[in-house]
Parts: sequence; structure tokens; C-alpha cells
Amino acid sequence: MVRTESPLLVARGVRKTYRSQADDVEALKGIDLDIHAGELVMVMGPSGNGKTTMLNCLSGLDDIDAGHVLVDGIDLHRVSDARRTDHRARRMGFVFQSFNLIPVFSAAENVELPLLVIGTPARAARRRALQMLDRVGLRERATHRPAELSGGEQQRVAIARALVAEPAIVWADEPTGNLDSQTAEAILEVLFDVHRSGHTLVIVTHDRAIGTRGTRLVEVRDGRIVADGRPR
Amino acid sequence: MTTDVLAAVIAAVLVVIAAVSGFDLVRRPSFRRLAFRNALRRKNEALLVVVGSLFGTAIVTSAFVVGDTLNSSIRDEARTRLGPIDEVVLVHHTSGLAEALAKVGTPPLPGVDGVMPMVTAPAAVSSLPTGNEQRYVEPDAFVHEIDFDAARRFGHRPADTGLVDAGPTPTGSEAVIGADLARQLHVGPGDQIVIFAFGQHHRFRVRALVPRVGIAGYHPTYAVEAQVVFVAPGTLDRMAAAVPAGAQLPEGRVLVSNTGGVFDSTNAASALNVHVRTAGLPGVEVVSEKQGTLDFAERQGSNFAELFGLTGGFIVIAGVLLLVNIFVMLAEERTHELGVLRALGLKRNHLVRTFGLEGNLYAITAAIAGSVAGIGVARVIVTVTERIFSEGDRGARLRFAVTPSSVAAGFAIGLAISLVTVWLTSMRIGRINVIRAIRNAPEVRRRFQPLWGLVVGGAGLLAGSQMFVSGAQDHEAVLALAGAAIGLWSAVPLLEPFVSWRLAVTLPCAVLLVFTAAAPSLLPETFDEAGVEAFFLQGVVLVATAVVLAVTNDDQFRWVVDRLSAAGRGVAARLGLANPLAKRVRTGLLLGMYALIVFVLVFMIVFASVFQAQAPQVAAETSAGYDLRVDSNAGNPVTREQLSAQRDVVAVAPLVQALAKFETPNSTDSFQRRFTGFDESLLSRGVPKLTSRAPTFASDDAAWRAVLASPALTIVPSDFLSGGNGPSTSTTKVGDHLVLVDPASGGRHDLTVAGVAGDLDPAENGAMVGARAVPTFVDRSVSNRFYVAVRDPARADAVATRLQADLLSNGVEADTFRSLVDDRLRGTTAFIRLLQGFLALGLVIGIAGLGVVMVRVVRERRREIGMLRAMGFRARTVRAAFLLEASFIAVQGIVIGAVLGLVTSYSVLSSSKTLGDRELAFHVPWLALGALAAATLGASLLAVLWPATQASRIRPAAALRLAD
Repeated sequence: MVRTESPLLVARGVRKTYRSQADDVEALKGIDLDIHAGELVMVMGPSGNGKTTMLNCLSGLDDIDAGHVLVDGIDLHRVSDARRTDHRARRMGFVFQSFNLIPVFSAAENVELPLLVIGTPARAARRRALQMLDRVGLRERATHRPAELSGGEQQRVAIARALVAEPAIVWADEPTGNLDSQTAEAILEVLFDVHRSGHTLVIVTHDRAIGTRGTRLVEVRDGRIVADGRPR
Repeated sequence: MTTDVLAAVIAAVLVVIAAVSGFDLVRRPSFRRLAFRNALRRKNEALLVVVGSLFGTAIVTSAFVVGDTLNSSIRDEARTRLGPIDEVVLVHHTSGLAEALAKVGTPPLPGVDGVMPMVTAPAAVSSLPTGNEQRYVEPDAFVHEIDFDAARRFGHRPADTGLVDAGPTPTGSEAVIGADLARQLHVGPGDQIVIFAFGQHHRFRVRALVPRVGIAGYHPTYAVEAQVVFVAPGTLDRMAAAVPAGAQLPEGRVLVSNTGGVFDSTNAASALNVHVRTAGLPGVEVVSEKQGTLDFAERQGSNFAELFGLTGGFIVIAGVLLLVNIFVMLAEERTHELGVLRALGLKRNHLVRTFGLEGNLYAITAAIAGSVAGIGVARVIVTVTERIFSEGDRGARLRFAVTPSSVAAGFAIGLAISLVTVWLTSMRIGRINVIRAIRNAPEVRRRFQPLWGLVVGGAGLLAGSQMFVSGAQDHEAVLALAGAAIGLWSAVPLLEPFVSWRLAVTLPCAVLLVFTAAAPSLLPETFDEAGVEAFFLQGVVLVATAVVLAVTNDDQFRWVVDRLSAAGRGVAARLGLANPLAKRVRTGLLLGMYALIVFVLVFMIVFASVFQAQAPQVAAETSAGYDLRVDSNAGNPVTREQLSAQRDVVAVAPLVQALAKFETPNSTDSFQRRFTGFDESLLSRGVPKLTSRAPTFASDDAAWRAVLASPALTIVPSDFLSGGNGPSTSTTKVGDHLVLVDPASGGRHDLTVAGVAGDLDPAENGAMVGARAVPTFVDRSVSNRFYVAVRDPARADAVATRLQADLLSNGVEADTFRSLVDDRLRGTTAFIRLLQGFLALGLVIGIAGLGVVMVRVVRERRREIGMLRAMGFRARTVRAAFLLEASFIAVQGIVIGAVLGLVTSYSVLSSSKTLGDRELAFHVPWLALGALAAATLGASLLAVLWPATQASRIRPAAALRLAD
């Protein structure tokens, strides 16, 4: 795969070891990966082989033991935590299996949070949040709290939240793992729609049926990338 | 509720819980396994629960131990001041001593195993310096004459007399002096001392020192130290050959020892009294020294235990709120697990019992730890109390004492409080919705069913109204307050079907808040007679209502956050406020802890400040236009002429002092109290101000002159008949009838209270009567007190110092009225500070509780924090959010407590007569309040800093990994 424009994310020799009193587990054993703008990257592999760890390390959520991760030319693991956090706030969005909505906030309040973090005035943030909820089909549920929403609705709120600040990359870790097949399909459609609108998505999944629906499939086994290319 | 009923209730609760738990322990292995494993699963969490639970037990135990210490300390006077002496037959004139001794000793009374004579006289004693040495003086010493050999045989245990190593009876100019006096005069064996008595002074050589034990420690006052000198028999009579006018003559005493030991001797006072009266001895009175001391000890011990118990009640409530909070959080953390257990087939009562069993483990551990901690808390209180007491006349060296029964009682009450809290919380927890629990969805607030609301609310409203009306009619403040609270709280379910929840709560609570705060003004007659328990209830109702009102309307704070957000700020504030606003029960419990303690502290700060501020006014009002109160030794009193001849003295008013027992139609009094006779000269420069007087008198002056003219009238301080240390209580009112009983003759004289002169009595005159009436009331009085006016009142202190130096041989002690008032107020305010210190422990509970809750909150919100960090929230924003959350609660609690404290103290000061007739001007001690608020908020933030920092350090990947 040859691309002319410079990649959005460049990872080289990324290593990560989990240390415990019992033993050390080398979760990533030298990851090299480039991600370009507009890609829909599916990261696939069996459970416990390092997919989520790779997502965490490449997004800057977790520290690495060796290597480099450059996003927009910034080496995430060579800058301060504050700078990395600011960068994450402006350039990344996250969707997790467990939704992770703030239970004491309404759907709209959850969605507008990333905008408030980067200093968007409250009214503008609320307007944008409602637009995002409209986009995921939950405009009428804006004032409901997470406990009052179904699993699928919660995940759609999480997607709206991940997109609201117009991030460069959206990371989704098993976004349909907690949902039934019908709801999962609906969520995937939302995510694909997001991709079609020009966003870069990295989706971690163990489900081959999902993995093959991206523009690129990265297979991870035992902490290494064992395949990277167009899905077949 | 009586103590017995309370004990029975506690016992019943413990028995029921023990029976249920015992059954489950033995017959329900699954419950046992769940309870034990959950308790041991997270040891740090378990430790937090135990720490949160032990405060109640510690406070209750400390209150009991303080009572033990007071009791034991005063009882110890039986050993140090009396030893084998049980009763003393006081013979006013030594000439009658031999006859009294013969009649008391023969035939021997049943229960009496020894009698011996003693001659005593008050005197001033000084060291005799050589060269440039300083002279040390004790103006209030006692000179005794006894036969040392007879004394050692007295009571059959020589060690109890304190004279074992004293050698033979002093002869010639020998003196054996008490260790306290030796320390005061800086003298030892071989040194010379001078005794000033009856207008003479004689030198003596100190032959030996004796400890403050038994006869060697005996003195006829209640002073802590025994300033005593033993001299050769006959010395005092020789010195008293030419007694100056007004001096107290040497007294004879027949010391009586009863069968039994120091603490368990028989009481022969009644028989002795009858014997003495039958014998027809003139000028003789029987003083039941040992029994009086032991009774006083008992009363003081229980008074203090009750006072600290009531004050501790606020802290115990704070501890209970913390305990409930911790258990509710514990349950919320395990909601999913509880839901699964229910789904697996455990019934509600099974959940309650499993949770209760686990709670038992915490409660028992906490009760044990709390009992031990309570002993430590009591030790601190005793140390501070000792300092306060040492400033008063009736000082006491406190012997720290812990009785097993007190620790057991503290343990049992603390355990019962914890268990009841735990089991009630468990019952609430057991009502979870299975599906919501499994899905980790929050419980929905249950609305009252309209019918149930009507029934419960209607019944409550009726019962409350009935109680309120009865309380108001019968002047029962507790009943009136409780009725108002029950009635208005019951209105909530009645209103709910018709209006919004907010309005249904706000309306009755607002009415109750206003009524309770203003209750002393609205029902003055009911609150005039109210006891401490009424104010305890008032505080609890006020705080509970204000907290409910606050948490119901807290979401109004959102507009502040919205305004901040609109300006592009306030993300941390939004996060910080979101949880307290959403979790109202938790917020309410924390607010309650803060508000309750701050409320009481502010109340006390205001009162301490108000008392202090009145010092100049009280000094001016009690001085009758004079500047100094001058006391001198009763055996060698200064005379009016001597004082008048002093430089800078412009006027002198003599006072005659005497002791008597006072009775009311409803009570007899075992204590002898001071009363003072005055003449026209006291009224010549103005009169002491009265706080109330009989309506027949047009002015204070008229009342004083009526008392001067009539032996049937008296003016008394309002706490004249109160007993013991601690805050004064109003006992006497205008129009009361008192009976003055001469302790020597038993003669009775009726007195009517014509006026009340406040409750401070800084000059310590007791009841005031006309001087001419004094000899008709009692056999014995002494003219050793004067009010003195000086040329330049601004230099009164300097004149006082000079009088003491110039009239040293008379044992003169001169004090300005301001210093007398300051001394009295110092005792009062120091006592309030002691209680404030005790209450500060409650604040520690609140602050520690907030810290404990925040530690658990960080754990609870780990996943949220991870997500926030993933979204780009900086670490400092997360930390700020937690600090803001704690500040929101602490500031609200402080504000609620402070406002309620100020309003209530204003209400009490402006209308209630609980504090006597004195008019106390309300003012806000801003500095002290500011310091309290700043210290509380600062300490709260410090307590939360650690969990907040931990929260900010949570790595998003780690938190989300746990979550996913």
C-alpha cells in the first residue's frame, strides 16, 4: 500500500510490558504502524493478544516502554502528560465497549463535555451537542441520563461524544461488544457513516465479520502485527 | 426516658441482633461465608468502615470516664483531706471544747470508734527571709493544735492520718507544716516562719513537713491544697488573748472517726446530731464531712457525665451519619453483587441478615477500638479540665480514673448505636430492585402512594399537633419542638400528591425552620424553663430541616455553573457539583455532619464572646461605685480604720460574712453557703445593679434599702442554690422563699428574695442581708471583707498591689472588680472552650468522614475518571473537580451551621430567660467565626487533597482496562 500524503499517526517499535509481582507480560513486542487520514482501520485478533493495549498506547492513554508514536508530528510519549492530554482533547475521540458515560450527566451534557474541555462556550457546546445527538438519532433523548437509555442508545451517545469535537482520529474498542446483534449493526452503521463523512476510525474487534468491513485490516497476535492490508 | 429504660432497650436490641446473628452464624454457612469474605476482601476498606464507626463509642465512653474521674478525684479528698475523719463537731468557742469532747465521746456512740479534739484558727503565714531573699506569704492558712500521738491512734490506721513520720507533738516555737504550705513559702525543716493572727505575729521554726493526707491534710475549706501549720497546744489561746474586733476566734473541733475504712466507714452523722442536740451544747454544729464529700463527688461525677453525654450526643449523631453514609456506599458499590444474589434466590431478609452479619463484625471491632479511644479522649479532657478547675476556689487535682463499668457501658451503647445503624441501613439496602441492581442502574425515588401519604401524613400531623399544643400549654419545650417537627414533616406526604416534590418539601421545612429558630421568642414561657435537652433537640431539628431544605433545592446552584460554562470556564465546577447534586442522600448525610457540629460550635462561640464582652459592664454594675474588694485573714482581719487610713483610699464599706444552710419549701441543702451583711455605706456611692426586683420596689436602690431595713428580705445571685462546677443554672427568682438555717443552733429564719443580682456574683458575697441581721441569724460571723473606693480608679490595680504589701500581716487580698469579673468569666468561657474542644472532635469526625467518603468516591468513579482523562481532561482539572466537590459540601455545611447557630443564639439571647435575668447583648464574633470557617474548610480540603490527588493520578488506560 503506497500513499503519497504523510500519515496521521506513525508508530515505530512500540513495546509495552505489564509488570506484576508474579511475572511480566510483554503485551506489545514492537509495533510499527502508519495510519492515514480517512482510513477505517480494523484491528483484529483473539482476546488477550494486545489489541486494546495497542489502542491505548497509540492513542496515548497508556505509557509505552520503547518506541515512538507520532500524531500530527507530535511524539505522544515524549511530551508532558498535560500536553498529551490537551492533544487528545483536540484530536482524538474514544468509544468503548462499556459506553463509559458520566451517570450524573444527561445525554446532552455528556456529549458537550469534550467541547467544554477545549474551551468552547457553553451555548455553542450545547448547540453542537444537540446537533451530534440529532445525527445519531437521539435528539429527543438529550435530557435523559444514561440509566434511562438502552445499551444501544448509550453507545450512540458515546459515539456522539467521541465525534463532537471533530477529532482527527476516533478510537473504538469493541464498540459493539455489549450489544445484541441488531443493535450492534445499527451502531456499526453509525460508525461507518462517521467514516464516510471523512473521519479516521480505528476499531478494535475480535469479530471477523466486523473486521472485514473496514478499508484496512490489521491483525494482531501475541503482541505483534501479523497482517496489515485490505480485508478479504 | 430513664436510664433503666434506656438500658433495657439497649439490652433488648443487642439480644435480638445477637440471636439473629448467632443463628445465621451457625445455621447459615452461606451468609457467614459472604459476610466474612466481604469484610476481609478489602482490608483497607474494612479499616475505613471501622474507623468511621468507632467515633460514637469513643465519645460515649469518654463521657463516662470523665464522670469516673470527677467522682474519683473528689472522693480522693476523703483520703487527702479527711482520712479517718468522718464527722466534725465544730465548737465555736474553745472554752466549750472539753465539754463537747466529753459529751460526744461518752458513752461511745454506736458506729463511732474514735474521737479527738483539735483547735484551729485562720492565720496568715509567711516565710522569714534573710538578706535579699524574697518573702513568701500565704494569706489563707490554718493553724492547728492537736496531740500527735492521739492523732496517730485515731481511726486505728496510723497511715491514714498522715502523721506517721511527724514525730512528737510540737512544743514551744516548733511548727510542723503541711507540704503544700512549705512549697508555697519555699521553706523546709529548720527554716523560720511567721504566723500572723489576732493582731500578733510569732516566729516558729519548722521541725518537719507532713503530706496532704488525713488529719495532716485537714482544713475546713474546700481548697485544693492544705495550707496548714501544727503548733504546740495552747499557742492559739495565748495569741488570742487580745482579739481584735471582727476577728474569728480559735475554734474547737471534735474529730469523729466511724467504724470502717476511709471510703467505707459507717455514717453516724444523724446519731451524732441527735446526741449533740440532746446534750444541749451551745454553739456547736455537726458537719458530716466525709458523707458530704462523697455525695458531692457522686453529684459532680454524674453532672459531668451528663453534660458531656449531651454535648457528645451531637457528635454521636455526626458519627451515626458517617456510619450510614459508609454503609450506603458499601452497598452501592456492591449493588450488582446484591442484585445477583437476589436473582439467585436470596430473599430480602437474607440480604439484610448477610449485610447485617458483616456489619456486626465492623461494629464489634469498632466498639472495642472506640472504647479504648474513648479512654484516650477522656484523658485529654481531664487534662484540660484540670487546668480550668485549678483557676477556681473549688479546685481539684483530678485523678484520672477508669472504671470497668464505664468502659463496658460505653462499649455497649456504642455497639448498640452501630448495630442499630447497620441493621437499619441493611434493611434499606435490602429493598433494591433486582433488575436495576444487576444493570447497575440507580434506584428510582419512591413516591408516597397517595393513600399511604394521606394515612401516614395525616396521622403524623395529628400526633404532632397534639404534642405541640400539649407542650406549649404545659411549657414543655421538648414536647412542643418535637410536635412541631413531626407535624410539619408529616405534611410532606400530604402535600406531595398536589404539588411538586420540591414544593412539598420546601414549604413545611421552611415553616419548621423559621419556627424552630424563633421558638424561644415565640414561646418564651415554654423556653424559659427549658433544659439542655430542649436545645439539643432544637439543634437537631434545625440542622436536619435545613439540610433537607438545602439538598432539595441544591440544584439551584446549577445556574452558577451554567454561567461559568457560558463564559467558557467551570468544567471542573460542573464535574465537582454534578455528583453532590445527583446523590442527595449522600450529600445530605455529609452536610448534616458538618452543619450539626458547626451549629453547636458557633452557638458556643457566640456565647463565650457575649460573656466576655459583658465584663466591663458587669464590673461596673456590681461594684456599687467602689473599686476594690478587699479580703483579709479571718483570724487577723484588717479594720475599716486601717483601710481608711491608707493612701489613695477615699471610702470603705465593711461587709460581714457568715455561713449557713439554705432551704426552699421544696428542697433542703446539704452545703453551707456564704451570706453577707452590708450597711448603709455600701449604698452611699450607688448600689449593685439588680437584674430583677419585686414590683413593689420602684428602683434598685429602694430594694437594697428595704433589705437593709428588714431582716426578712434578701438579695441573691440567680444561681445561688446551684451546686458544683460547670455553667451556672438559674435557681432562685424574685419572690422565692428561703429558710436560713444556723448550722450551730439549728435556728431557722425566713427570707424572701427581694431582688436578684445576676448570676456571676463576682464578689462572691452569696445572699446579701442587712448587717444588723447577721448576728440574729447565726452564732458566728467575721468582718474581714470590704469594698474600697480609691482616689483615681484608673490606678486601682496599683493601689490593690500596695494594700497587699502594706497589710501583709493581715493577709490582705485586694482585687479590682474587673479582675474579679474576669476571673469568674474566665472559668465560664474556659468551660465553654472545653466543650468546644470536645465538639471539635465532632468536626474531626465530619472532616475525616468527608475524607473517607472521598476515598471511596474515587474508587467508585474510577471508570468515569478514566474516561474523562481519555477525553482530554487534565489531571489538575480532575483534582480540582474533587476539591470543588468537597468544598461545595463543606462550605454549605459551614454556612448552614453558622447561620443557624447565629440565628438561634440571637433568639435565645434576646428572649429566653434560660440564662437568667441578665440582659446579654448579642453580637457576632466575626473573627472567631471566620477562624472556625477557615480552619474547617482548610482541614476539609487537606483531608480531601490525598484522594483528589490519587484521582488525578489515575491513568486512563488502567481505569478503562478495569472497566472493560
